[in-house]
Amino acid sequence: MTRPALLRYLSESPLLWLAITLMAGLIFVADTLTKLEIAFAVLHVVVILLAVRSGRVGAILTVAGICIVLTLTSYGLTRHGNRDSGLANAALSLLAIGASTWLAVRLERLQARARHAQSDLARMSRIMLMGELSASIAHEVSQPVTAIAANGNAALRWLSADPPNEEEARRALTRIVADAGRAGDVVARVRRLVARAGPQAEPLDLTETVAEALAVMRGELRRNEIHLRTELDDALPQVMGDRVQLQQVVLNFVLNAIEAMAERPAEERDLLVSAAGDGKSVTVSVRDSGTGLGGEAQQRLFEAFFSTKPTGMGMGLAISRSIVEAHGGTIYAAPNYPTGAVFGFTLPAVRTQGEAGTA
Amino acid sequence: MNQEQSARPAAQTVYVVDDDPSVRDGLDSLLRSVGYRAACFASTAEFLAALPRARPSCLVLDIRMPDANGLDFQDELVRRAETVPVIFLSGHGDVPMSVRAMKAGASEFLLKPFREQDLLDAIRQALAGDRTRQAQDEALSSLRERYQTLTSREREVMALVALGRLNKQIAGELGLSEITVKVHRGHAMRKMQADSVADLIRMAESLGLLRPMG
Repeated sequence: MTRPALLRYLSESPLLWLAITLMAGLIFVADTLTKLEIAFAVLHVVVILLAVRSGRVGAILTVAGICIVLTLTSYGLTRHGNRDSGLANAALSLLAIGASTWLAVRLERLQARARHAQSDLARMSRIMLMGELSASIAHEVSQPVTAIAANGNAALRWLSADPPNEEEARRALTRIVADAGRAGDVVARVRRLVARAGPQAEPLDLTETVAEALAVMRGELRRNEIHLRTELDDALPQVMGDRVQLQQVVLNFVLNAIEAMAERPAEERDLLVSAAGDGKSVTVSVRDSGTGLGGEAQQRLFEAFFSTKPTGMGMGLAISRSIVEAHGGTIYAAPNYPTGAVFGFTLPAVRTQGEAGTA
Repeated sequence: MNQEQSARPAAQTVYVVDDDPSVRDGLDSLLRSVGYRAACFASTAEFLAALPRARPSCLVLDIRMPDANGLDFQDELVRRAETVPVIFLSGHGDVPMSVRAMKAGASEFLLKPFREQDLLDAIRQALAGDRTRQAQDEALSSLRERYQTLTSREREVMALVALGRLNKQIAGELGLSEITVKVHRGHAMRKMQADSVADLIRMAESLGLLRPMG
């Protein structure tokens, strides 16, 4: 481990390392100075269990090594009591330290694997989502491009007419500029959405985040004849989070809502997306007028591989839940009145930027 | 070609149905710059409300419409016996959809974004097709009008002549004298404005008289 890495480690959670150091020191002192013929060093197990919280195998092994060195040193320094029982105590302590280290490392490896699997799932679902949306996006881009081509050719013809019709040409060129802007907006939205960066915590305006996600869905909503209403508060407190992941949650809710309303007559397909805050937290909700939730469904919605849809994998809401919980928030589902369902999540608001910690 | 282009467009109308205002405005300007009359609608319902259409004309239709699937709309046209040539524009042209469109009589299927020359070529072809069809329709309706002026006896004689019967046979079949048959036949040819018996037979064929009488 290089020095800067070690420093970063220590500065990441100073309280944890302070506790570990204090604990190890106390145990060492007690082990060395007390006259009791007991295996005081067994308590190093607690130190190792604390080190597990760092979430790093290297850190656990380093702490275990230090504990072993301390136990041996203490054995060498101890002047009191029976040499044999001292040796037995030291051996017992070393065994306990070794066993708990082994368990701790195993635990940490399993947790790391679970975290990895979760992020793979999140990425996979994003890819699936992109597949579903790509047709919609292709349409969004090809519309302005089609218009630009038509206007461009029209402008050329107006100008080469005899006499040139400058007024018509000017109007066509003005439309080209507007359509180019529209195409650019679509590209920028898609780029933000697919940016394959890892989860990043940045201060976010959820109103803007949600509006962007909805803009991507515009074509899809229109194609499914869904009437979208939004109630997005302009003055929401910011939250810390990953823009792409949270947009994925919103898109997931909206896709579910679209499917839930597929059976309803077109004039009854209402979707209400709102974002509201109370100073301490921000809540985003997606309210549909679809088929609603059955009793069992409501209980099990956020479980992995549970789906009410014949073609569903049952991953969408489970992934949404892990994303929201990783942001320190809660996800919920409830029946909507008079019909349909509400899906939403609440995230803690950031009061000052300095206060924002990692989840 | 150039002469033809500058001579004809004024009377030709291209209808456009696309829900996207940008595309609509662009196509409107493009079509007018070429010299066509353009009539744009946001939905197939608006287009249907504007019928009957000017002739010759054709329709440029975005297949992904919010109010009705473009192909369902085409079925509706067939139901109304509306023969406007349709050029489909599609944002995503999967094979089954284009096959269905062509089977249903689409004159062209273009993927957005398309090359303007492809669209203009398709429009030129569709309009030429509609002009031919219009001429045929007009010829047939004038033929029908003339046929309406025939007496029922003249119609019987005309049908039998068209079937290749001799005057004598016709006289026998209808219980008339050969001279009377000749008179009816002469009247029929004059009223139908047929120059020859062959001409009269062609007219009878167009009118669907060549099925043997029961």
